[in-house]
Amino acid sequence: MIRLTRLGAIGLIGGILAAVGAETGRLPADQLAKAVRSDSISIPTPGELFAALEKPGKTDWSGQYRGPIPITYRNRAQIALNLGGLIADGFIAVEAKDSQQVKNIGSDIIKLAKALGVSENLLSRGNSINEFAENNEWDTLQEELEATQNEVKSSMQSHSDQDLVILVSLGGWIRGTQVVSGAIMQNYDARSAKVLRQPALVKFMQSKINEISPELRGEPLVKDVNEQLAGIEKLVSFPADKTPSVDEVRKVNKAVDKVMEEIENKAVAR
Amino acid sequence: MKRRLLIFLSIFVLAASISARAETDAEVEARKAALDLAGAFSNEGFKIRDGHWCGTVKQNDHALVAVNLYAGNQYWFSAGATEPAKKIAVSVYDETGKQVTTEDYNAGEKAAAGFSPTNSGQYFVSVDLVEGQAGSFCLIYSYK
Repeated sequence: MIRLTRLGAIGLIGGILAAVGAETGRLPADQLAKAVRSDSISIPTPGELFAALEKPGKTDWSGQYRGPIPITYRNRAQIALNLGGLIADGFIAVEAKDSQQVKNIGSDIIKLAKALGVSENLLSRGNSINEFAENNEWDTLQEELEATQNEVKSSMQSHSDQDLVILVSLGGWIRGTQVVSGAIMQNYDARSAKVLRQPALVKFMQSKINEISPELRGEPLVKDVNEQLAGIEKLVSFPADKTPSVDEVRKVNKAVDKVMEEIENKAVAR
Repeated sequence: MKRRLLIFLSIFVLAASISARAETDAEVEARKAALDLAGAFSNEGFKIRDGHWCGTVKQNDHALVAVNLYAGNQYWFSAGATEPAKKIAVSVYDETGKQVTTEDYNAGEKAAAGFSPTNSGQYFVSVDLVEGQAGSFCLIYSYK
C-alpha cells in the first residue's frame, strides 16, 4: 500500500517500522462521543473527495465546470456559502489542470472575500494562485487553495464572523458532492459511488449550524439550507458495506443540485 | 523545495495568525515535528492538509479526534510531541470504535499511522503517550 522506505532515505533513520498496527482494540461509545470534532480537521477538503473519485478511472473534470456565478451578493451568509462553492470549483480546475480556469476562479474568490471584508492578506494568496497556475504546480495549488480557505476562515474569526466559517465549509462540501454525484451518474462505478457515504460529516455540519446565532440561523437561505441538510443526511446514510446504486446516487445529486441552486440564485435581503 | 518552503512558511503564518485558541510555543514545535514527518510522505505524492489539531497527550488517556475519510484514498496521520513526552503512538478506529489495521511508524516523539479505508465515513484518530510524561502534541494528516 504505502511504501515507507523513503522515510529512512530522508534522514528519519532510527524509526521503528512495523507493517501492521499493534494489538487491536475497541473504544467504547462514550469515548467516541467525546472525540474532538473541528472544522479544520474533521471536514475533508473538496480535494480529498475529488482524489477519491478519480481512483477507479479518469474523470472528465472540465465537464464538471459550471457557468460563472454572480459575485455581487450582498448577504453575508450567501457570500460565505458561495465562497466555499467557489473554492471547490478551484479544486475542480486544478484536477482539470486548467491554469486559466484556476486564475479566473482565484480572482472570483478574492472578490467574494473582499465583499466580506477579509481580503487584506488574501491579495498575496491570489498572486500565489496565479503564479502556481502559470507554472502548472498542481499539487502546490491544491495546498494553496486550502490555505486560502483557512485564511478566510481565520480572518472571519478575528472579525467576529466565526458563525460564517461553517457556511464556507458547507458550501464547499455541497458543491463538491454535486460534482461528484453528477460525475458518478455520468459514468457509474461502484467504487466511486462509495465516496458518497458521509452521514457523520453532514450531522457534524448540521450541529455546527445549530450553534450559530439565532439571527443568522433564522435567515431564509440558511434556514432553507439547514432544513434540506436533514434530507441529504438521510440520503448519504448508506450502511458501511453497501454500495449506493445509480438511483441512490441520482437522489443525492438531485438533493444537492436543489440546495446549490438556492445558494447561487436565491434572492436574499442584505 | 518550494513545497517544503511553503510548509514551513505556513507554520509561521499560522502561528502568527489569530485563531480561536492560540497555540502555545510547545504546540508550534510539535506541529513542526508533525510537518517534518508528513513532509516525508509528500515525496510519495501525499498532499498535506492545512488543518491540524494540537493538544496535550497524557498517560492512560486517548487524545481522540474525529475525521471523515473517503474509500479509495490513502491517508497518513502524522503526530509530533514535545518533552517531557518521549514516545507517542498513533492509531485509527472505525465508526464503531474498532481499531483498524494501519501501517505504523514510530520514532520517539514522532509517530504516524497509514490507512486506506475501504468504506467512506467517520473514523477516529488516537494519539497516545507510550513513554514519558504529559506533553504537547500536534496531529496533521495527508492523503492521496
